[in-house]
Amino acid sequence: METLNEFINSYFLWRDPMIVGAVTGAICGFLGVFVVLRRIIFVSATLTQISSFGVALSFYLESIGLALFSTLIGPFALSLILTSIAAAFYALKKDFSRISREGVIAFGFLIASGGVIILGDKITRGSHDIATILFGSAVVVDPMDVYLIPGIAVLVLIIHLVYFKDFIFISFDAESAQLFKYPVKRLNTLLLITVALVVAVATRALGALPVFALLALPPLSSLYLTEKLKLVFVFSAIIGVLSAVLGYFFSFVLSIPTGASIAVCASIFFVLALVWQGIRKG
Amino acid sequence: MTDLIRLENVEIGYEKAGLMDSINLAIESNQFWGILGPNGSGKTTLLKTILSLLPPISGEISLEHSLVFGYVPQNEKFDPIFPISVCEIVSMGRYSRVKPGKRLTLLDREIVTKSLDSVGISHLKDRTFRSLSGGEKQRTLLARAIAGEPDVLVLDEPTASVDIKGEAEIMELVKKIQAESKVAVLMVSHFLNTVSEYSDHLILIDKDSNIFQAGMKAEILKHGSLDTFFGLNLHPN
Repeated sequence: METLNEFINSYFLWRDPMIVGAVTGAICGFLGVFVVLRRIIFVSATLTQISSFGVALSFYLESIGLALFSTLIGPFALSLILTSIAAAFYALKKDFSRISREGVIAFGFLIASGGVIILGDKITRGSHDIATILFGSAVVVDPMDVYLIPGIAVLVLIIHLVYFKDFIFISFDAESAQLFKYPVKRLNTLLLITVALVVAVATRALGALPVFALLALPPLSSLYLTEKLKLVFVFSAIIGVLSAVLGYFFSFVLSIPTGASIAVCASIFFVLALVWQGIRKG
Repeated sequence: MTDLIRLENVEIGYEKAGLMDSINLAIESNQFWGILGPNGSGKTTLLKTILSLLPPISGEISLEHSLVFGYVPQNEKFDPIFPISVCEIVSMGRYSRVKPGKRLTLLDREIVTKSLDSVGISHLKDRTFRSLSGGEKQRTLLARAIAGEPDVLVLDEPTASVDIKGEAEIMELVKKIQAESKVAVLMVSHFLNTVSEYSDHLILIDKDSNIFQAGMKAEILKHGSLDTFFGLNLHPN
């Protein structure tokens, strides 16, 4: 009880990260449904790593005296550019001669992860910043993120509101969509760019691990909870919010890394959903 | 009568690797075409070329202006991870007439309801597609195809995953739809009996033997080409 009171009294400390976390949880939960249904979970993992690489690269350029470049293209912009290029590449390029798609995704993941660690080692600001990018241990967020992340979430939601039926159609039956003269490649790219946009901004604020967890686990949980497609999106967004909020809460009261706490909370929801499915099916 | 679809000296194949050339074909409305051939004979490649899902390697394909296809693919191709309902799938049939970014109108929804009724699956509309039997899945895909009010109904192995009774029911349904709406039907199958019973025109295709024959069913059957085609003695007595 005392801990709870202490938590409530310290609201000025956690209010901003909680807002950012909750909005990120909601939008990642929503977008994650497409990621899971299209079986591209590891594309999202790769995008989070590429986004981290963009942030790390920006820090590195600043550390070697290219501050002007860093000012012109800040961590967010660089991360967004690299993540969007990768998203467009994965959306447009389906066939890789003699190499499986998974192999190319793994290549992107590994080169970005390796790059982040190497750049982290070279950055004079210390490894703490890189750990923050990767695992989201930051308890505080940039004040700008309190406006930027909800703004981007609203923009992405508007795009999805307009093209929801089309994104479902191309994800479920791309061949018929092509037959009906739908611009399948452009819609695929738009869908993955919205994922890239959210990943770029959320990774910088929360870290790669919690963003990946929020993209993958809430949708997987909600697929166990309901058989109705639209409800899957609603439940996934709610579980995303709860995972982020509870993750921050436990991080605060137990003094554990925030990113890891969010990932564990999302995992607990997944296990609960699995149990619920087991009970329901008898 | 004008041709809905016309192929002139078309060569089909994937990525510039030709499978078969010199294909000539003209399909008119209210015709029922059966496409026969063994596995891997090029049936699906021909179908996808006609549907403009694959570009022809050479030759010309002319489709009547604003031609609408109703397509019934093999139901195994759909990923069961999607918790998508029968009604949602049938609604997709209307997307041939609803542009990206636009929503279905009340009229579209009425047509979807009518399509569900006409194939006898109204009671399944809220069920998930993945929970249906093979026959129910085919009916759902058929309802989706007719919801688009097509000029040509294209069926890819529509009876592959159903039993004999289900096969007869699906084929009677297709025949009924054709009789009511005068659509042209193009059906791929490797079941000779099904195709020869319901179609009035036949296409025999086998890329390995470089066979492509198309015409009235009676003509194709008369030539005794089925014997050569299937490598069987179909008239032992």
